[in-house]
Formats: sequence, structure tokens, C-alpha cells
Amino acid sequence: MKRLDGIARSGLVFLLALVVLVVVAQVTGLGGDPEKIVGPRLAPPGPEWWLGTDSLGRSTLPRVLQGTGTSLLLSAVAVLATAVVATALGVLAGYQGGALNEIVMRVVDVLYSFPAIILAILVAALVNPGLDAAVASIVLVTIPLMTRVVRAAALTVSHRDYVTSAIISGARLPRVLGRHILPNVAGTVAVQGTYALSIGILVEGGLSFLGLGVQPPQASLGVLISEGTVYLTYAPWLLLGPGVVLVLAILSINVLGDGLRDQLDPRTSRSLT
Amino acid sequence: MRLFVWSATRLFSAALTLLGVSILIFGAMRLMPGGYATIVLGPLASPEQRAELTASFGLNDPILVQYAHWIQTAFGGDFGRSLVSNDPVAAELGSRLPVTLQLTLMSAIPGVLIGAALGILIAVRRGTRGRALGRIASALGVSLPEYVVGGIAVYLFSRYALGLTVGGYVPFGEDPATNLAAMVLPASVLAVFVVSATARTTRDAVLNVLHEPYITTAVSRGQSPWSIVRHHVLRNAAIPVLVVASTVTAYLLGGAVIVEYLFNLPGVGSYVVQAITRRDYAVVQAGVLLAAALFIFTNMVVDLLVGVIDPRLGVSK
Repeated sequence: MKRLDGIARSGLVFLLALVVLVVVAQVTGLGGDPEKIVGPRLAPPGPEWWLGTDSLGRSTLPRVLQGTGTSLLLSAVAVLATAVVATALGVLAGYQGGALNEIVMRVVDVLYSFPAIILAILVAALVNPGLDAAVASIVLVTIPLMTRVVRAAALTVSHRDYVTSAIISGARLPRVLGRHILPNVAGTVAVQGTYALSIGILVEGGLSFLGLGVQPPQASLGVLISEGTVYLTYAPWLLLGPGVVLVLAILSINVLGDGLRDQLDPRTSRSLT
Repeated sequence: MRLFVWSATRLFSAALTLLGVSILIFGAMRLMPGGYATIVLGPLASPEQRAELTASFGLNDPILVQYAHWIQTAFGGDFGRSLVSNDPVAAELGSRLPVTLQLTLMSAIPGVLIGAALGILIAVRRGTRGRALGRIASALGVSLPEYVVGGIAVYLFSRYALGLTVGGYVPFGEDPATNLAAMVLPASVLAVFVVSATARTTRDAVLNVLHEPYITTAVSRGQSPWSIVRHHVLRNAAIPVLVVASTVTAYLLGGAVIVEYLFNLPGVGSYVVQAITRRDYAVVQAGVLLAAALFIFTNMVVDLLVGVIDPRLGVSK
């Protein structure tokens, strides 16, 4: 098995470091209390508040750490749900074909016809703005592409000789799917899951930016960016802190996804979104 | 004949998808918490008022009749009235559509051209360092959300006099120079993603073609690199690059929402965002349907073009 290349590995390392930092900050209170008012309002970055203070005089650093945790966790939960549903639907549709395949693919086509933020807005209209709305939006936005790709992979695998021979030797459906199809689409799921995670963080950011996702006082990267935009001309660091973390997180996930994809098959190219 | 069958199939499936989209939006609006009468009249209305409103909007009719009625009027260009201002939604959408169209065209056309050129350059580069740099740069480009880039652009251009105005939109017909000064910045913010997404796809497409045996043949025949790119690579790589147009459209339709909101442009996107914070569902419903319909239409056109370019498509089926 080929190893991940340097760029992809640095992405993975950065992402893990970010997660560790957020968890450590959560457990030990590193970086300070996100709720505590520590100094003057809208103070520029300094030794006591590395990323400056916000409109209430709270230090931005612990809020960014907290917000990063919320954004990552929320997107991860959503992507996990997407992965389970999309894999189940994709594998069944790809392997079984027929009416099931038709129904799944038509529904996926319909969901796929909504640009991500537009679909998220529709969900936010139905569910009151908040964590649920953000998670539901990410799931609905990421399901169509993942289901399509998994289905295509399952379809290819289901025509392989070893699958035919398993069927001939009397293997039942769960065994064929579990032993032969699933392991062979797992790589595809991993690659798509990585891309879905970056889309999830993007969508959460956009939704919260428009005031339709996570609601203040709860912090998420999108909420912090939205707050930063309000005081942009006086305190640009309020946008820069969470903005840079968000961009680096998405970038590292994307290069990790690229690396996984190249490792899986150096020639096929399914790019982001 | 092949093209005819292919086009007919594609048209049919686009119509089917649009039907599904309309059912989904209709269903979503029916599931709205509180029901239509409460949304329109507020929580304090008397039961008689609610009953009267429900009856007058035909909400007691069978659900299929309601759906048919909605579709019929929507296709006739009537999206009902705003629940907040009571103005016809279609008129407002019509007056805002040019802003959004200008914004998307100003970012899409230069963005796709620059992105395609960059993608080819990255792909044909020999040096591993240049390639790695190109890979990181194009990955970075698609990782820069418009709400971050836009915010930084707003800060830089409003803090320092750099020539472009932030906000202050006027219609192009009134004052072209002021209009362009106000539109270049938001369009550039959107173009960041368009350039990177196109560059990434073009790079992958060109690299895939470069692995084909006929390229090896051309090289061994002693053809010059530029002639190989022009005659063998570009044609074959054109299809994935064309397909990226659909990704770009989806992005622009959503990105326009955020950029219009950020730069205070009176487009369709800011209208829908405003509507959703005011719970103006008539507007949300129309805006979402319009966006989805535009996206389905672009996808269909892209597929039809691919069908024209690629003679293999539609034969095996």
C-alpha cells in the first residue's frame, strides 16, 4: 500500500493538531475562559489576548478554539450520518439496480439540483435556526454527491468475478454486500467523506454567517466570522482569527482528500464539490 | 438521430427533476411550523380569521389541487405576493435578477478562462516543485470561502483608498462607471473559487489525457509539445472542463447569496436572505425554485453540449 504524500500528510497532521488543541483547551481551560471579560472592547491583539478582544471585551482566542470545536464536531456528526445513509443507499442501489436504483437516483437528482447554500436556506426555513438546522443542512447538501459516487463504485464492483463466484457458491445478500462490496467501496467512502467534511465546515460557516445556523452566544467559526464582519473596519482581527482557522482547516481537509484519492487511484479524478 | 434521442432523454430527465424539485419545495412549505395562517396573521389572530384566510387561499382544497394550482401560476410567472410587503414577488425578482446576472457573469466568464489557462499550465509543468505548488495553490483557492475573502476585501478597500468602492450600487444603465466600480470587487471575490475550481478540474483532465497511449505515440513521433497540447490534449480535456461549468453555476448561485448580503447588492440572493429572516415564505419559495430551475437548466445545457462534442455518448445506451 502506497503511503500518503507529503502535502496530504501535512494536512492530516495539521488537522489532528487542531483537534488536539481544541480538546486540550476544552479540558484544561488553556487560552482562558471564553465567557470572561478580560479587557477593553475591540482591543487589538496583544500579549494578554493573542487574537484581540471582541465587542464585549472577551478574549477572542478561547472563543475561536471553542468555535472551531463546535464547527468541527457539528460537521463531523453530519458527515458521519451522511456516510452511513449514502453508503447504505449507494451500495443497495448499485448492487440491486432495478426500481430501487431508479427511485434512489431520482431523489438524489432532485436534491442535487439545489445549490448548497440554497438548500441550506430551505432547511433553515423549516427547522428553526440553530445546531439542528446546521447539521440537517450539511447532511442534505452532502448526501447526493456521496450516494452517486458510492453507487457508481458499487456498480463496478458488483460485476467483478469474485462477486459472481460468491453468489454462485450460495452466499446470501448480507454476506455478498458485507464481505465483497462494502470493503471495496470503503476507500471511495473515505475520500468522499473527507471532501464532505470540508463542505460541511463551509456550509456551517455560510449558514451561520447569514444568521441561519448556529446562534450566538454559542460560538462556531461561522458565528465568529459573522460577528467579525460587523466590526470589520474597527477590528479586522475579529474576522482574521476565525477566518484563518477556517481556511486552514478546510485546506488541510482538501489536500488530505486529494492525497487519499490519488492513493486510491492515481488516475481517476473526482474533484471537490 | 443519436443526438436527437440523447437530447430528448436529457430534456425529459431535466423536466422530471424540476417536477421533483417543485414537489419538494411545495412539501417543505406545507410542513412549515405553525401552518400558513399563523405565519401570515401572526399568533394572535382569532380562529375565525384563520379559517377565513385558509379558505380564501384555497388551503382546504385537496393537496393535489393546491399543488396543481401553484405550479400553474408559477409557470405563468406569478409567484404570489410577499407576505411582508404584499408586493408581487415576480416583479421584485424581475427587477433584482439583472444584478445577480451581472454579478455571476462578471465572475464566471473571466474566472473560467483564467482557471482553464492556469490548469493547463500546472498540468504540463515538468518540475515536481512547480506541480506541488500548483496543487497547494489550487486547493487553497477552493478552500477560501467568500464570507472570509469578501470580508477581507471589504476591510482593505474601505480602509485604504484602492480605487474600487464597497457598496454604493447603481444600475449599469444609470451610470456604467460607478456600477462597474461597485461590481468589480464582489465579482472578484466570487471569481476566486471559480478560477481555482476550473484550474483543478482542468489540471486533472489534462493529466488524465496525458496518460493516454496516443500522447506517447505523438511524443515518439517527435511532435512539438505545443502541437500535442493543441491537437490531442485540449479536445479531449474539454469535456471535464465543460462539466465544471455546472459546479461553477451551483457555486455562483449560492455564493451570490452571501456576496450580495455582504456587499449590500440589491440582487435575488439578498432578497431571499432578507425574506427568510422575516419569515416571508412566498419569497423564499420563489427564490429557491428559481435557483434550482436555473441550475437544472445549466446542467441540461452542459450535458447537451457534451453530447455534441463527444460522439461516444449516447451510443452504447
